Amino acid sequence: MKITKGHFIIGLLLLAALAAYPFFSGVVYTNLFVRFLIFALFGASLNLLLSYTGLLNFGHAMFFGVGGYATALLLEHMPNAGLLTALFVGASAGALLALIVSPMLVRVRDTAFALMTLALNQLLFIACLKLRGITYGEDGVGGFSIPPLNLFGLVSVDITHPYNFFYFSLCIVGLGLFLMWYTTRTPFGSIMIGIRDNPNRVNYLGFNLPFSKTVIFTISGFFAGSAGALFALFQNLVSPDAVMHIQNSFTAIIMVFVGGIGTFIGPIVGAAIMTGLENLAVRYTEKIFLFNGLLLIMVVMFFRGGFVGLYNLAKAKWGSK
Amino acid sequence: MQLVVKDLNTFYGAIHALQNISLSIAEGEIVALLGRNGMGKSTTLKSIMGIIKPRSGSIQFNGNELAGLPPHKIAQAGIGYVPEDRQVFGNLTIEENLMMGQMGIKNKNAAGPKWTLDRIYEHFPFMVKKHGLKARFISGGEQQMLSIARALMGNPSLLLIDEPSEGLSPIIVNEVRDILAEINKEGVSVLLVEHNYKVAVYLAKRIYLMGKAHIGYENSVGHLEAHPEIRSQFLEV
Repeated sequence: MKITKGHFIIGLLLLAALAAYPFFSGVVYTNLFVRFLIFALFGASLNLLLSYTGLLNFGHAMFFGVGGYATALLLEHMPNAGLLTALFVGASAGALLALIVSPMLVRVRDTAFALMTLALNQLLFIACLKLRGITYGEDGVGGFSIPPLNLFGLVSVDITHPYNFFYFSLCIVGLGLFLMWYTTRTPFGSIMIGIRDNPNRVNYLGFNLPFSKTVIFTISGFFAGSAGALFALFQNLVSPDAVMHIQNSFTAIIMVFVGGIGTFIGPIVGAAIMTGLENLAVRYTEKIFLFNGLLLIMVVMFFRGGFVGLYNLAKAKWGSK
Repeated sequence: MQLVVKDLNTFYGAIHALQNISLSIAEGEIVALLGRNGMGKSTTLKSIMGIIKPRSGSIQFNGNELAGLPPHKIAQAGIGYVPEDRQVFGNLTIEENLMMGQMGIKNKNAAGPKWTLDRIYEHFPFMVKKHGLKARFISGGEQQMLSIARALMGNPSLLLIDEPSEGLSPIIVNEVRDILAEINKEGVSVLLVEHNYKVAVYLAKRIYLMGKAHIGYENSVGHLEAHPEIRSQFLEV
């Protein structure tokens, strides 16, 4: 795709709209948007495994959760740690967990892989619940101090203000999404697609398959961890149910499918749709998973390409020639 | 000798698929391995490449033992493998496919002649225009060429090629044949598994004929041509 003047103008308008968003929408919808941003980042990190490498990970919440706990615990015990340090520690915790579980995960495929990720997720969930001395069990880690964002020692921004947190997460998620998108465009992205399409062939070309997969997990874990860290800063609370629960893993998978599997933008669109739907559904019922499930069934039955696939179909049918 | 395979035994479960296979290839040579379907030709290539682990026997490549190593180590040692069904990455472009062949090989000095994208494009001119096209949109013959070119990008000194002419029209078969001859002139040895007898005798100087799971005949092309009864024993259906 060539970047034309038109794209540039659309991009600028979009940025302006995003910058103005909090002032038009108010606190509630600003926070809703932050929630969308966090899940877009989380969903995109899963998408690296699901769409690009063809790995169905049922336990992606473990990276999210570990990232959230790492950031929360750091700020709980070292309130003076910087904001970006806390964020980086959370992201690194996700990457580190990925490195630790990789030796097990890279040796299995398909169903065994999916079940192994599910089991690991549950293991960490239980660990967070039971290791009360560290994680405070079901109550979770909360009320830790949120350090201000210190820019080059010049300005100090209080990000506990919802609008400031909106801009902060917009920057972090934007950067994260860009880095992931860029990764898929590099030769390393070719390796991921190669592994998805034909892992054996990748092996014969001289790639150490377990090593390549470990690198992919680590990258994905890093971004999932950073999403978890953002979540911890956003809620000022992490608990097993909020961050480590298997439901988060499923939500991310559903986002990828609803948005459109096989595309980069899919999980971002999916996160927007699911966040919006949840916000609507929660007014009428607490059982929002009823709606998520229904949507997933409709997508899988009637439009496998998700909403991005629908858009492409519409464009092919009615779009400009 | 560049490659010396000695008393190779491979099993598929209880089936003894290769029985004491021994063969050798000198540097710069093209050797063809022929035989009827199901004799174990492809299995021989897969065993050399480490895709199927041989149970016993040795595979010496430039004096190093390869038997028991995983495929990526064998590729690193300088053996390129072009599988039977081509197996290009359909969702990657021609150029990305080629780069995949290069990226995996870390020790770029150990192996055979050096290949770059430019040199590949000289030998495979059709790729110049189509370099940005996804590989699933090119023809079968072009996919075969791409599969060969991708293996070359790893600078192998030996290519294992499994049935390159399978499913291609006669004109394309000749193109593939000529490409293999060109590559060989650049200094790459070739172990060729073929169904197409004409292609095999055109390219190879020496021929191995496989009977059920074993090598039943080894000699020069001239000898085989002079003895049609051997041909009918091993090749005719």
